[in-house]
Order: sequence, then C-alpha cells, then structure tokens
Amino acid sequence: MPKTQYISRKQELPLKGDSTGLFLQVIIAIAVFIFAITLSGVLSINSILQNWHQSILGSLTVQIMPITGTDHKKTTAETLAYQDKAIEFLQTVDGVTKVTPLSDEQLKQLIQPWLGDDVNIENLPMPRIIDVKLAPNAEVDFLKLAQDLATASPQASLDNHKLWLSKLIRFADGLKLIALTVLFLVTGISAGAIFYTTRMSLGLHRHIIEILHIMGAKDTYVAQQYARRMAVLGLVGGLFGLFFAIPVILFIGTLATQIEGGIISEASLSVSDWCLIIILPLFATLIAMFTAYYTVKQTLQKML
Amino acid sequence: MPEINIIEMQNVGIRYDQGPEILSNVRLSLKQGSFHFLTGKSGAGKTSLLSMMYLAQRPSRGRISVFGKDINFTNRDALASLRRRIGVVFQDFRLLDHLSAFDNVALPLRVCGMNEREVRKRVSELLSWVELDAHMLDAAATLSGGEKQRVAIARAVINRPELLLADEPTGNVDNFIAPKLMKLFVELNKLGTTVVIATHSEKLITDFPFPRLHLQNRGLYILPPAEVLSDGGVDA
Repeated sequence: MPKTQYISRKQELPLKGDSTGLFLQVIIAIAVFIFAITLSGVLSINSILQNWHQSILGSLTVQIMPITGTDHKKTTAETLAYQDKAIEFLQTVDGVTKVTPLSDEQLKQLIQPWLGDDVNIENLPMPRIIDVKLAPNAEVDFLKLAQDLATASPQASLDNHKLWLSKLIRFADGLKLIALTVLFLVTGISAGAIFYTTRMSLGLHRHIIEILHIMGAKDTYVAQQYARRMAVLGLVGGLFGLFFAIPVILFIGTLATQIEGGIISEASLSVSDWCLIIILPLFATLIAMFTAYYTVKQTLQKML
Repeated sequence: MPEINIIEMQNVGIRYDQGPEILSNVRLSLKQGSFHFLTGKSGAGKTSLLSMMYLAQRPSRGRISVFGKDINFTNRDALASLRRRIGVVFQDFRLLDHLSAFDNVALPLRVCGMNEREVRKRVSELLSWVELDAHMLDAAATLSGGEKQRVAIARAVINRPELLLADEPTGNVDNFIAPKLMKLFVELNKLGTTVVIATHSEKLITDFPFPRLHLQNRGLYILPPAEVLSDGGVDA
C-alpha cells in the first residue's frame, strides 16, 4: 500500500491541458507589451508637462528691439541702454523674483543653428533678451505690465509664454487621452479574451463541473481553480511582455534624447514610473484572475 | 420525536424540452433511516427520479423538499450544502478519469474543505475496505469496470451521507464483492442513512427484503418487499 503522505493532490479540473492556455499567454504578453510602451508614453508626457509648468509658467521673456544704423557701436550702446532701463523697471514690479539679461554668448547659442559658429553679433541688428522669473503664485497683469514696460523702455516688448504654452499643454493632454484610451482598450481586449476562453473551457469541462456540483462544490470552488490557473497564465504572459517592452522603451528614450530643441529630451521616467511599468505583470495577473473568477461565477449561475 | 421526511415530492412531473412527461404526479415521502429499492423497466424514469433527488435537476412541475428545504426557494450555496449530505453512485460511475482512485474518493471531502491529513486517513481506510488499496494511485481510466464501481461507491459513502442514492451499484461487481457492498449499504442504513438503490437485480431484491419504489406508466408506486407485480416484477 502506498504511503498516503506522499500522495500529491491533483486539481480536479485539468486546466493545464487546455489548448487555450498558450493562446492566452501570447495575448497577455502582447497586451502587456503594448501597455508598457503606452504607459511609458503617458508617464513621459506627464513629466514633460510638469517640467513646462515648473520652468515656463513662472517666467516671462522681454525682448529689446535693436536700434538700427550704420554706426554699430553706437546703436549697440543705445540698445543696451534700453535694456538697462527695462531691467531697472522690471526689478520694481511686484511678483518678479529675478531679472536676467541673456549674455552675448547665450544669444550666439540661440542663433547658432541658423547662422553657424563664426558670428559676431555686434555686427548684426540682434534683439536683446531678458529672462524674467516670477514668484510661483504671482498675480501679474500682463497687459498693464507690457504698457508700463513700453513706457519705461520704448524698445522693449513683452513676450508672454502662456498662450503658446496652453496650446502645447492642450496638445499633450490630447496625446495623453489617446494613450489612456489605448490602455483601456488593451485591458478590455485582454479581459474579453480571458472571458471567452474561460467560457469555452467551462463548456469543455462541463461534465467535471457537474460532478463537482453533485459532490457539493460551491461555485467559488470551481471559480478558484480557474482563477489560480489564469493567475499563472497572466503572470507568465505578463513577464514575457515586459521582457520585450523594456528594451523598446529604453530605445525610444534614447531616440528622444537625440532630438534637438530640448522639448522631448525633458521627458524622462522617474524611479516610481519604472516601478509602475515593472509591476505590470502583477496587474495582468490580477486582471486575469478576477476576470476568470467572475466569468465562472456568472456562467455557473445558469446551472442548477 | 416526529419523523423527518428526507425527501418529499408533491405532484412532481419531469419532461425534457417539449417532449412528453417521463414522470407525472409523483408523490413521495422518504422517512429518515428508510431503505428502498427503486425498480421499473428501462426508460421508466429511474435515473430522472434519482437526479431530482440528488439535486442535479429541477422538476418541470410540482414541489420537491430535500432535508425539509423546498428546492425552489433555496439559493445556490444552500443547494451545495444540501448536496454535501447526499452520496450518489452513478450507473456509469462518473469518475474523473484523469484523477487517481484516491483523488476521486477524496473529492467530496475536499469540496467540503476538510484538512488533507484527515482526508488521507479516511480515504485510505475506505479504499482498503473495498480492497482497492493496491490501486490507490492508479488513474481511474485504467481501472476495470468492477474497480471503478467500487471507487464510485467509496466516493459516495466517504462523507457518511444522510441520504445515499445508488443507480445499479452492484451491476459490474462479482458475486463476492456485491453482497459485501450491499452489506455496507445496510450498515450505513442502520447508522441512520436513508438509502435508495435503483436496480434491475431480482436477486438483490429477494436477498434484501426492503420495500420498493416502483415506476410504471409514468407513475410511482410504493410496494412492500414481497409483492409480485402484474408486469412481471423487476425486469432484470
């Protein structure tokens, strides 16, 4: 007689042998792959928006139009005099925390992409630019400020970033919404695949489920066996999806940093963002588990 | 102490799809601790009647109460709890072929959530009693007809059921095992289990003088042990 302590318990429902297992794993792997890449996009857009809000919303740019004429030294000196007047005025405005005129070197860097390295800006009618930082909650009447500035320094004009920034933010929000829709669809499609394969499997194992019921098994007993199986499929499929998604996310990140202009390169994933991406297989596990559990419960309701 | 009806049927009828009624106006009260044979020709509705008793099927009309609960007003979880008090031996055994004899017999205990140590103790004792200890770990699919039947009977009684329903339980076992199994049913009955055994075996009915529930012309008739029927008695 065999020693009963060595008898290993076998699951009543032979779900491991179901041919749909591999199909589901592939579906979940693809879903997690798409989900991880889209999520990294959403998180990157969030980080860009945050950067914009922090660095641009609290600032203004003042432009001093250059005085034109044949005597470059004289016109440059006059332009700089207007710049000084503007700076003097801006430092007296409530809410302004810092007023920084851009140096010749910084101006050169701005026009370098168009005119090259060997440019002597003194020979060009270059506008001077002043970067103005505002206090975080400063309430500035930009229209009045523009008028006062023009009075204080007639060559100065105010460039308010808020208008174009709001357009950019709206565009980024739109992208985010599309990405969130993709996430929602991917989750829905995966849950749908789990729902239908679970129902198919219930039909396949109906004779076993009937016996379990006659023996007194409650619906939760059957549902738990399905939930356990789907959890394993979800986890394995999810890990595969993540395994292929991480190199793609890193590659896209590398491409983004190579883009000139400094807008896209501001996008970066923080440690918490990576944590969110890495726990996606667990998310897939939970979705698979709960979908299977409730599908079984709902389907068995129709049996006696 | 008032006698408890384990099963009570009032005007029960059953039909499949839109077909004619297989059973009509069945009235039945099974007292606790009673022992009945269920007889009738093939197709008389024995399996349908049993399946209503073990709560696998609802009647097309009429009322059935099991352990005092009207099944029309009993929720799914409560039905499962009622089923745990019933042991069933199927004519076609209905074992789970991919499981071992041990796991098949352990099934009713595991669905109740019994701890594994107790499950192992009880199952190995019972398999030993039905002389299947050598085949404990064999897959059910590899067992002979007689061995499968013994596993099916062991599965039905492992939970010490209050109601035992058996459809041809000795049909596939030899002359040595059959009386032994019947003795097990009788012993369980003495301990208070209500037993209903569907059979074609005249020998069984004459060897064990219990009253009969006889199905004839879609109706159910309760007959005493010795009565001889006009249609030739049991059609063994």
